Amino acid sequence: MRGPFAEWIGRVKSFFADRLGLEDLQKLADKKRVPIHRTSLFYFLGGMALFLFGIQVVTGVLLSLYYKPSPDQAFESVRAIMTEVEYGWLIRSVHSWSANLLIGVLALHLLTTYVMRAYRKPREFTWLTGVLLLAMFMAFGFSGYLLPWNQLAFFATKVGTAIVGAVPLVGKHFLLLARSGENVTGDTLARFYSLHVVILPLATFAVLGVHLYLVQKHGMSIPQGVVERFGGEDKVPSMPFVPHFLLRDMVGWYVALGLLAALAALFPWELGEKATPLGAPPPGIQPEWYFLFMFETLKQLPGRFFGFGWLEGEVVGVLFFGVCWLVVLLVPFLDPRAVQGHPRRLLNWLATWAVFAFILQTASGLGAIRLKLLASSLVQLGLLDPDPTILDSYRWLALVEAALWSAAATIAFRFGVRKWTVRESMQ
Amino acid sequence: MLLAAMPGGSAAGEKAAPKDAAAQAPGAAAAKAEKPAAEKPAAAKAEKPAAKTPAGPAPRVPDDKNQCITCHSSPDFAELQAELEKEGKKDRLRLAVITSALAADVHWQKGLRCQDCHGGDPTAEDFAPAHTGHGGLRSLKHADIPAFCGECHADTDYMRRYLPSPRTDQLAEYWTSGHGQKLKASGDDTAVATCISCHDKPHGSGLKPQPHGIRAVADLESPVYRTRLADTCAKCHSDEKLMKDRTYHNRPLGHHQNESWRQSVHGKALLEKGDLSAPTCNHCHGNHGALPPQVDSVANACGTCHGRAAKLFADTKMKHGFEQSKLPGCVTCHATRVDAGPPDSHLIRVPTDELLGMEQGAVCNECHNEQQPKHGVAGAKEAKALREGLDDLKAGIDYAREILDEADHLGMEVSKPRFDLRKATDALTNARVQIHSFDPVPVQKILDEGQGVLSDVQAAADKALREHDARRVWLGLTLVPILVVVVVLVLYIRTLPVAKPVST
Repeated sequence: MRGPFAEWIGRVKSFFADRLGLEDLQKLADKKRVPIHRTSLFYFLGGMALFLFGIQVVTGVLLSLYYKPSPDQAFESVRAIMTEVEYGWLIRSVHSWSANLLIGVLALHLLTTYVMRAYRKPREFTWLTGVLLLAMFMAFGFSGYLLPWNQLAFFATKVGTAIVGAVPLVGKHFLLLARSGENVTGDTLARFYSLHVVILPLATFAVLGVHLYLVQKHGMSIPQGVVERFGGEDKVPSMPFVPHFLLRDMVGWYVALGLLAALAALFPWELGEKATPLGAPPPGIQPEWYFLFMFETLKQLPGRFFGFGWLEGEVVGVLFFGVCWLVVLLVPFLDPRAVQGHPRRLLNWLATWAVFAFILQTASGLGAIRLKLLASSLVQLGLLDPDPTILDSYRWLALVEAALWSAAATIAFRFGVRKWTVRESMQ
Repeated sequence: MLLAAMPGGSAAGEKAAPKDAAAQAPGAAAAKAEKPAAEKPAAAKAEKPAAKTPAGPAPRVPDDKNQCITCHSSPDFAELQAELEKEGKKDRLRLAVITSALAADVHWQKGLRCQDCHGGDPTAEDFAPAHTGHGGLRSLKHADIPAFCGECHADTDYMRRYLPSPRTDQLAEYWTSGHGQKLKASGDDTAVATCISCHDKPHGSGLKPQPHGIRAVADLESPVYRTRLADTCAKCHSDEKLMKDRTYHNRPLGHHQNESWRQSVHGKALLEKGDLSAPTCNHCHGNHGALPPQVDSVANACGTCHGRAAKLFADTKMKHGFEQSKLPGCVTCHATRVDAGPPDSHLIRVPTDELLGMEQGAVCNECHNEQQPKHGVAGAKEAKALREGLDDLKAGIDYAREILDEADHLGMEVSKPRFDLRKATDALTNARVQIHSFDPVPVQKILDEGQGVLSDVQAAADKALREHDARRVWLGLTLVPILVVVVVLVLYIRTLPVAKPVST
């Protein structure tokens, strides 16, 4: 028997349905299904990223009500947000941590998509838009980092934009474009603010729109092994998107929210000190963690390459990372036989090595590990002068050590995976 | 420049006067003249006298027609020197005037010209009439310089045309100074400073590259400008040979003063920090009446700037005790002792709290110890207590500043406590000055006020930090409802039907 409340709900639903054509959406939602298999947990990462992006938009809009993008007022407005605006400190902390979490989730999403080979035909453009979105969110992070105009932000931006200038031929133009001049000034702040709240959001919405459309159009990708095991995509067990998957997705969102609350509680975002452009940079200046692997590598590269005095280490590093990004972008085209399930050994080895190298270099940048074993071994053997000033010129040994450790971990991991795969196939 | 082309030997028309200090002082450009320098010229007051010369108002001509300049000036010292050396007439370099230096000379800028001070006829093109005309050139000895300058500078009526409220007591002061007394006593000791020794050589000397003539005192290039005065005094007073055997009231003058002063708190304040209010030689010794302050007037000298400390000190028993023991007031405690000698009155050290108390290095300890009971051992206890009070307040301020910085860095609102902390810092400064009363009661009162402010500031800072921690705790507690929602969702999900394959 329908109660009065249920009747009222029904009337509200039909009011909107008659006017907004919600039935079509309902049909679409009813049709959409999500496959269930061992790695379907990875499907939640996309929704989690979307949820975190939503948090960014909401908190970003709230912050923009009080933030003033000028060198004289930026820091003071952030201070006012944190001290005078009701729960401004919370919004700011959530916004900052959510940005970091978002990039972490996106990186995981990229990795799991790679693992599942979800980029194979017809989903190449989904991959392309996804990589583009990752780059855009990293740009969000970079541009937003400057806005508080504190010491860390100012000098990290100065260092970061200087690296951009190292790109051959076009680097100088990019530098001038990014900084709106030779140096990081109020003009840079205004430009970054514009980038952060107008240009990037518009571009992101456009690209995200395409990405989501493609995901809806092609449906969720199922790993080839799973398809073969069940004898076809339509035979793979699945659950309706609404409400089964959506509710599970919400669990993921709340987990992300809980993680956000925990991070904001344990490591509240600090105000810092106002930037003094003419002063010395604070010691240990470094970018956010998601740029650390690049920053650390560039720091470790020698100033000039041995025997090639014209070749600057920084240029080599920037070009190397440019090539890496290009490889990541073109993965679907570098693995054309994914649809047939052909192995992609070289890509897997490279990807595994890249992940371990990323972890090692990030840990090194954070100070969690010290890549000095190789250098100290050479000193012990008498092959290297222990004088610290001379040792500093051998900082590229840390890079070699990171590469070697990553390679060792890669080998161990790949053999471990192979053993596990063989064992699985034997069961 | 016609100097090289002039007839050799002394200038024609000049009496060959003995080499006097005025001629020796390069740039004095006082050519030897007929008139003895001892004559005091009548102050000829014509309708519009340009300056006071014995022969009355000097003729006025445009500068480009002034023959003095035509013969005696040169635009470039080095060029002139080379030319004269080539001609073997290097001795004439002292008669030269560098035009750029002349243009910077304050007298020249006020409209005085060569003839107004030196006499002679600027319109005459020939050597003899130029030097003998209009009463001829004036000759001055070193000892005549003060009176010569005083002809104008001691005449209020005359100086008023250039300054509305002119000082005209310089000459009178000079004769009371150590320099003036020495000059009078010695007759004509060329080593004793006169006006031009400090105010620079008139219109640049041909003997060495003086870039300027006499400048106004307020001119940055003037040798008596605040930042340059000590070096000007040091030209003589740091010259070991010059100061050898020179005494004042049987005390050797020494030659270390400038070196000591440069290292002192005053020297560093002026020279390194650019604090123009910091004292240099004239602030303690006087300007034209320069003399060392006596033992009983040292505190007064210091008190011209450190008024409050001096007043407090003046009312104490200590001052009387110091005077009885012939101790030089403030300097006794505030000057550095070099190699355990007497205090170097020019090397005033930065006053720190370490001067107070009974620890090693504290000045109170030097007298108020058990080996010298006549000074009072009770003084030792008071000194120790005062020092402890200062240290406590200082430590409290440092701690408060630290926690305020921490709270600020975390993004907490602490602008009011930070402002209030200034009151504690003021109390510390006040207490440090009040120490000079050597009375612990008022000092303790100020320290207590400071401590009161500190406790409020520390409480506010602690409150801000606690609020920050509370935020973290509450944020952490939000995990509970989040966890509840997650559990509810999971439980609800479990009630949903099991998944099935998609039917074709």
